[in-house]
Amino acid sequence: MAFELRDHTADVAVAATGGTLEEVFAAVADGLAAASTDEVPEGTGERFQVSVTAESREALLFDYLDELIYRRDVRAALPVDNRVESIERGGDEDEDGNREARKEDGHRHGDGEHDSWTLEATTRGVPLSEIDAREVKAVTYSEMRLERTDDGWEAYVVFDV
Amino acid sequence: MTDTTFDADGITLEKVREYVWEIPQEGNMRTPARVLASEALLEEIKEDKTLEQIKNTTHLPGITNHAICMPDGHQGYGFPVGGVGALDAENGCISPGAVGYDINCGVRMMRTNLTYDELQGREEELVDSLFANVPSGLGGGGIVEAGVDTVDEILERGVDWALENGHAVEEDLLHCEDEGVRAEADASKISQKAKDRGKNQIGSLGSGNHFLEVQRVTDVFDDAVGDAYGLEEDRIVVLIHCGSRGLGHQTCNDYLRKIEQQHQGLLNQLPDKELAAAPAGSQLAADYYKAMNAAINFAWVNRQLIMHRTRQVFERVFDRSWEEMEMELLYDVAHNIAKKETHAVGVGPEGRPVRDGDAVEREERELYVHRKGATRAFPAGHPEVPKAYRDVGQPVIIPGSMGAGSYVLRGGENSMDLTFGSTAHGAGRLMSRTQAKNEYWGGDVQDELEQQEQIYVKAQSGATVAEEAPGVYKDVDEVVRVSDALGIGDKVARTFPVCNIKG
Repeated sequence: MAFELRDHTADVAVAATGGTLEEVFAAVADGLAAASTDEVPEGTGERFQVSVTAESREALLFDYLDELIYRRDVRAALPVDNRVESIERGGDEDEDGNREARKEDGHRHGDGEHDSWTLEATTRGVPLSEIDAREVKAVTYSEMRLERTDDGWEAYVVFDV
Repeated sequence: MTDTTFDADGITLEKVREYVWEIPQEGNMRTPARVLASEALLEEIKEDKTLEQIKNTTHLPGITNHAICMPDGHQGYGFPVGGVGALDAENGCISPGAVGYDINCGVRMMRTNLTYDELQGREEELVDSLFANVPSGLGGGGIVEAGVDTVDEILERGVDWALENGHAVEEDLLHCEDEGVRAEADASKISQKAKDRGKNQIGSLGSGNHFLEVQRVTDVFDDAVGDAYGLEEDRIVVLIHCGSRGLGHQTCNDYLRKIEQQHQGLLNQLPDKELAAAPAGSQLAADYYKAMNAAINFAWVNRQLIMHRTRQVFERVFDRSWEEMEMELLYDVAHNIAKKETHAVGVGPEGRPVRDGDAVEREERELYVHRKGATRAFPAGHPEVPKAYRDVGQPVIIPGSMGAGSYVLRGGENSMDLTFGSTAHGAGRLMSRTQAKNEYWGGDVQDELEQQEQIYVKAQSGATVAEEAPGVYKDVDEVVRVSDALGIGDKVARTFPVCNIKG
């Protein structure tokens, strides 16, 4: 799992890769932290849980990053060392009407009308008072990419600074 | 390149006349796009995705005449920064993406009767005191810590709330667009999440390109208008640049997601998801307009609180009352906004807006004029210019970088015909933030500005200083020269930085 910050005239872009969907999501989130501060201190700040539900994979990534920015503002803490525990796809009903949550396993699913994707993650909130951090205003859909590769997944996200 | 075309790596612009370039309509573009720039500025504009983005903007339903890129245009997300798009309020749409995240990000200028002589020698004391008293950066809190009830009041009442609570005087309202209150605001259209983010940030600069700058007036180009604006050479003014903070950012995101869920059909017609728009007449369009107006009010209060706090800082540093220093709001202009405005547009035989050449008559139409990184610039006589300035035209404040001058313009007489009453908003970025950090070191930039230009800079983050170094911006003089030559915003005065604080 890896990320790098890319040039963008006014804003900052994060390009990330990961072996699994969970890893690439976490890598983009760590990229967001890196865009906010140059040095992430070790051993400070509490870990907390982040849960997000959305109707598609891209929307889930968008809402996850949006949730981290929201938590940053209300907790006055920068989310770093992001761990995405699980990304599950549910909401598809089978012929008997049973709902079954399925782990995203790399197989292509049909695009159900009422798709629902759920993410469970944890993050460490470093108090803003302890670091030299800049404000990333928001996640954007502009040029967003989330694609499968031979080695796993890659993502590209532009943030408004 | 010939005299009549400009080749921008695959996109050919046709010269309409001096400083007016057109990208012809093709593919799914609903109208042509225009770029208002000199060839020198075009050379910079073509370097990123600005032109592609202004072309994309013409895909929005109801786009009237053409999408227009201002002289300071640069790449944004979805809509370029420096973009103006007038979308029909009956048959078109309103686009939260095109307004942008920082709803009513804008600038205000406060004049004083202090001279540069009186300030010299006290720059350090002033910059330290401003930095200590005006919240900036990430997590720096706000001037007012409020509960959600207060946030709701601010959202619906704008600067009127500030007046009632001792953070403003009557004249402040008279010198602000719409007197500091958008009436069509509804706090219930703003999410709880957005209010939670906003309540700790009321009266704060934030970071990025936002700042507070003490400046001296170096030139007054137009004495009559300068006089009407209360600007004299050598006088001190204060410029404040910030927006609606997390509340506005969250509001934009909330509505982008709602559009994605409710108006997928329209979204699929657009080349960039970030242009997400709600069709005129839909519930979501009405809700967004009310939410955006509420966020506009929040941003006005934000800048008002910072300005009023600045008055108190000056009182302590100069040991006299702010009234005695005549610290009055000159004007407040918004950069990221969509406003329902009435404009005369050419209509074809079917009564729909068409290009000027095809028009059979002109008709007053209601348009959502989207200005993203662009400033309203209404000319003298326009009924929406505050009474104080109606005879000379609306003040337009164009901040330069922290090492270059800023400008005060007035709405030019050609603005209604050329740009739906708009002009540029700043110098425009040239270099990415990542590249800037490789080229500059914050401490060096600060030392150089202080030693060579007597500009005192104080920031929460050295990286912000590097990212905002004067060299990362376009030449503001050239931007203003083009605005003036086109008659969309006329030069009135120039200022130069003395102290600058930022996040």
